[in-house]
Amino acid sequence: MSHPEEARLDDAITLDADSGGLFRSLLIVGVGSLSGAVLLGMNDLAKLQRAYLVAFMYVLSIALGALWFVTIQHLTNAKWSVVVRRVAEIMASNMWLVALLSLGVVGPMLLGSTDLYVWLDHARVEQDHVLHHKSAYLNIQFFIVRWVLYFGFWIWLGRRFFRLSVQQDRDGGSEISTTLRRISAPSMIVFALTLTFCAIDLVMSLDALWFSTMFGVYYFAGCVLAGYSTLGLFLMWIQSKGRLTTSVNSEHYHDIGKMMFAFTVFWAYIAFSQFMLIWYADVPEETHWYHWRFEGSWKVVSALLLVAHFAVPFFGLMSRHVKRNKRSLAFWAVWILVIHYVDLFWLVYPNGSGEVPLSAVDILCWLGVLGLFGAVSVRRAQKINLIPTGDPRLADSLAFENA
Amino acid sequence: MTDSSESVAVSKEPEQVHGLLAEYETPQKLIAAARRIKEAGYSRWDSFSPFPVHGIDPAMGIRPTILPWIVFAAGLSGGTGALFFQWWTSTQDYPWIVSGKPFWSIPANIPITFELTVLAAALTCFAGMLILNKLPLPSHPLDRIRRFARVTNDRFFVLIQASDPKFDARQTSELLAATGPRGAVETVMEDTQSSNVVPRGVTFGLLILVSAAAVPFSLAALARVSTNTKPKFHIVPDMDFQQKYKPQRKNAFFEDQRAMRLDVAGTVAVGELKDDDHFYRGKLNGTFAKTFPPQIEISEQTMARGQDRFGIYCTPCHGVDGAGQGMVHQRARSLMQGTWVQPSDLHMEALRYKSVGELFEGISKGVRNMPGYARQIDPADRWAIVLYLRALQRSQAASLADLPEAERKGLE
Amino acid sequence: MAAVVDLPELQGDGTAGDAPATPKDYRVWQTDSGGDNPFAKITDTVIRIVETPKPPRAWYIAIAISLSWVGLLVLSLSRLFWEGIGIWGNMNPVGWGWDIVNFVFWVGIGHAGTLISAILFLLRQNWRTAINRAAEAMTIFAVICALIFPATHIGRPWLPYWMLPIPNQMDMWPQFRSPLDWDVFAVSTYFTVSLTFWFMGLIPDLASIRDRADTNGRRIVYGILAMGWRGSARQWHRYERAYLILAALSTPLVLSVHSVVSFDFATSQLPGWHATIFPPYFVAGAIFSGFAMVVTLLIPARQFFGLKNIIEIRHLEQMNKIILATGTMVGYAYAMEFFIAWYGASHYEQFTFINRAFGPYAWAYWTMVSCNVIFPQLFWFRKVRTNLGAMMVICVLVNVGMWFERFVIIATSLARDFLPAAWGYFVPTIWDFSTFLGTFGVFFTLFLLFCRFLPMVATAEVKAIHPAAHGH
Repeated sequence: MSHPEEARLDDAITLDADSGGLFRSLLIVGVGSLSGAVLLGMNDLAKLQRAYLVAFMYVLSIALGALWFVTIQHLTNAKWSVVVRRVAEIMASNMWLVALLSLGVVGPMLLGSTDLYVWLDHARVEQDHVLHHKSAYLNIQFFIVRWVLYFGFWIWLGRRFFRLSVQQDRDGGSEISTTLRRISAPSMIVFALTLTFCAIDLVMSLDALWFSTMFGVYYFAGCVLAGYSTLGLFLMWIQSKGRLTTSVNSEHYHDIGKMMFAFTVFWAYIAFSQFMLIWYADVPEETHWYHWRFEGSWKVVSALLLVAHFAVPFFGLMSRHVKRNKRSLAFWAVWILVIHYVDLFWLVYPNGSGEVPLSAVDILCWLGVLGLFGAVSVRRAQKINLIPTGDPRLADSLAFENA
Repeated sequence: MTDSSESVAVSKEPEQVHGLLAEYETPQKLIAAARRIKEAGYSRWDSFSPFPVHGIDPAMGIRPTILPWIVFAAGLSGGTGALFFQWWTSTQDYPWIVSGKPFWSIPANIPITFELTVLAAALTCFAGMLILNKLPLPSHPLDRIRRFARVTNDRFFVLIQASDPKFDARQTSELLAATGPRGAVETVMEDTQSSNVVPRGVTFGLLILVSAAAVPFSLAALARVSTNTKPKFHIVPDMDFQQKYKPQRKNAFFEDQRAMRLDVAGTVAVGELKDDDHFYRGKLNGTFAKTFPPQIEISEQTMARGQDRFGIYCTPCHGVDGAGQGMVHQRARSLMQGTWVQPSDLHMEALRYKSVGELFEGISKGVRNMPGYARQIDPADRWAIVLYLRALQRSQAASLADLPEAERKGLE
Repeated sequence: MAAVVDLPELQGDGTAGDAPATPKDYRVWQTDSGGDNPFAKITDTVIRIVETPKPPRAWYIAIAISLSWVGLLVLSLSRLFWEGIGIWGNMNPVGWGWDIVNFVFWVGIGHAGTLISAILFLLRQNWRTAINRAAEAMTIFAVICALIFPATHIGRPWLPYWMLPIPNQMDMWPQFRSPLDWDVFAVSTYFTVSLTFWFMGLIPDLASIRDRADTNGRRIVYGILAMGWRGSARQWHRYERAYLILAALSTPLVLSVHSVVSFDFATSQLPGWHATIFPPYFVAGAIFSGFAMVVTLLIPARQFFGLKNIIEIRHLEQMNKIILATGTMVGYAYAMEFFIAWYGASHYEQFTFINRAFGPYAWAYWTMVSCNVIFPQLFWFRKVRTNLGAMMVICVLVNVGMWFERFVIIATSLARDFLPAAWGYFVPTIWDFSTFLGTFGVFFTLFLLFCRFLPMVATAEVKAIHPAAHGH
């Protein structure tokens, strides 16, 4: 006798052209917002660059979160996630767009802008002993090499997972699953290193005198949260179009919710560790970074992060009923995605002046990159199966139940 | 249908029926049986298995337990209690500064708060589970059914209690028989032999234990408020009792019984013979010396040394310029101490005309409120300070004629 | 209590089947269940070990050796209490020597048990049921060994209660702002919660032993411990919820405990100690060493106690994969430390890392690197992961490497800190060795006693995940 909530494979698992409307709107929002941001921000290029950097790191975190999700599911040979994995593969395969968007950060660097990164300013580097020392790593040439490596690897991995999975739809068989599992193990190592160094290069080096061994892990925590939240919302949108309505059920949302909960706690743990250790030892080279984030209006933002990034979603996502219900889970997914932006804003902006310069340019940049990323993801979703039908673990994924 | 109530021989009163028991070989059969029993409307019944059977909860209609809420409340209390306790001890009861951190150092209080939250929640979870499950349960009527002993091994059972409103010896038995049990449906009798009364010995023993457990706490409380002249109890003496004489102790060897001894009359310890009056006391032939002792080289080096030592020892009171307005004086003035006397202005005439020997003695033995510095500054350094002092005094009392030719020309 | 002892008026007639007349035949009856029933086989394989009158000979030899080491510990601690910490090698500037290294070593090993019990449970990894009981027991024993060190290294070991917030005549409280006090709370909470979780898991299995007991003594002792568990579904429901809650609580707890231990070092300003990545780095290292110890213990245990069909090679292989993964995480942390030491441009920090690799403790450093980073890489190969001899060697080496990691962190940073005038070189004394060896004695003795008197496998859980158990 079948369990009332048991999932079955849908008959309709492709979107076809059904979502053409959304693709167009997202594209317009994306292009429009970015253009608006440039127009509005033209007078204050330093500010525009910073706003764009926050937005870029945001969309990168979603893509990396999705890529991590796919990698870990293959690595652990997970069964529950098969029905939701294609959606994550779609997002991860759009790394090429993120690479394109990164030109908005790297372009100005190549053109000589020192608004963001003081280590690009040769005069300052010559004068300052510490910057001079770091210039063996923090110099434009080595940076470009690394940038190519990061995105090259991420694009390659995202595409590989996507293509092999789609191929498995056609050919079936478990050899592809084995191949994917084999790739995922060394890829995870390279992923960890590339993510860490990208975060160091683009965000930690904004304050070239500061350092923290935990920084890569901190950014990673945000990536995973963003990835899962976006995955949940994307799935809900697909279901609103009448697809995957029986394949993906509350069991799968429950698991996504559990990971959102777990990584909320994980983020808080990492953030607290980094903060408390620097606070406790009180070493001036390290503490100034936090001083900036407690000065003036930044105090409010820091308090907001503690409450809204940890305390509130912690209690909110605790209940299993919340995690199993689409509306409440969607609420928390949106919450997390918003507060994640605040987190990145908090990482990038403080410079000791105490001001929190949130403006329309920031919002427009954010909407811009999100719109573009959403557009290409929706587009890709239109053309292929939304479930990896060839995966041998599909039956387990449909049948699985939470305790 | 079995009828075993007559086989009980010992007890005189007719035994009550506790319920009906059915045994099953597989979990699937158990679940099927459970569904049927639930559909039939029974409420006071239970199933038994060696492991939690997946799907038995909905089959039996078991409602979710309130245990998670109890645990949540306990965790919250644990956490707030821990945070409050750290706040109270660090800011109210005995505030003290550690590493310059604030009295209520919230980041430093988080780890313990977290641990106590988990501890409170976990212990409550376990205790709550036991209490809700009514464990420990020393006896149960089912203990007398031999085959029930396999419930913790590989067999599954259902028991419908006679106290259920729908219970009917015949109908219930037929229902159970229809579910495909292994063997026949068995009647379980009430347990009239295990007593409900706690044995007196156990109660007594527990009372004694509880009272005994209160003793150490009472002793601790007593120790908090009482004083004791006896030294503390030592398990390991370590270095508390050493084989040496300490000041203010007795030594029976000497006539006056004292361990502390004065120097023997007429002797001087090696290195303590300070017979150079000039160098050590600033006196020549019984009067204060007007010249520096020959050991002191009048040079830039000595001057620099003197300036350095002056800066360390003299400037707090006399000020860097020697005018007597040093930091100690500023502080005393700001505190408005009525008994304070300003340190001497080193440029006043009386001091300018004092001989170097007198100045030396002033530094060594002190003058009026100024303490003697003989213990802190060795004689050579004291002479260097005197040399610098002379230069300092000269600097504020110079005439044009004292300047070198080049400077004089510049000023004219 | 006459009713309990004599079991009079037992009901049951011939139609109920084969239930024996006297308790003496219970065990035989419970074992003989017919070939199809997998549950009885599981019960029998595991509980038989507890019931056999004589354990295998290897057990006697092992416990004789471990008891002798316990004797060594008693001797060492007595000497320590009488003479003081001076009998160890601790000196200026290395004031923390083997005592703290051993403490962190043992606490780290304990983490695997909780991870297997709690985290793998939350991740629905059913293969954990074969090993979680033994692993949890190992956790408790490892934490006991760990607690020996903070309790005895404090100079006046008759005053450890000063670390607890008890009202006292000095009106003083512990220093709650100190990581060392956080340790007190973290490790004791960890011990208490692990003990609770382990005991709760034991209850159904103790009931199995009780119900198979053929002597009164065994029935009473295990009966009391089993608290009257009879496997009612309503009780199972609450039990399962409690198990899930305890698992959900233990997960952040186990992460927090080794993080708090890492705070002992990371809150300082010492180069090589003050790195923000220490908390997750230490946790990964703890899981790494813990799993290695579980594998080291289970290989002989399954051999000598006939548990090869329950603790299979595939379980060991899964553990080896986790060892490889956590070892890689530790490697990542090493890489981050190096990079940031260079990047941070502090010559103290840079010197520390160069000193570790090429200074007076280079021998310890390279032992650590080869055992932690190099040898575990062999686990990439399936042949190595599934070979008992190879995994035994690698796992022992992992534990050696992790001991050296703590030694390198503690001794090299202390021996070469900011002030060259204060530099020194720590040399352990015979009492350092004997105390450490003694704690191994405690650990193995407790583990051997556990193997003898308690069910080594969580039989109820193994049955629950068996294919025959699935309700639909």
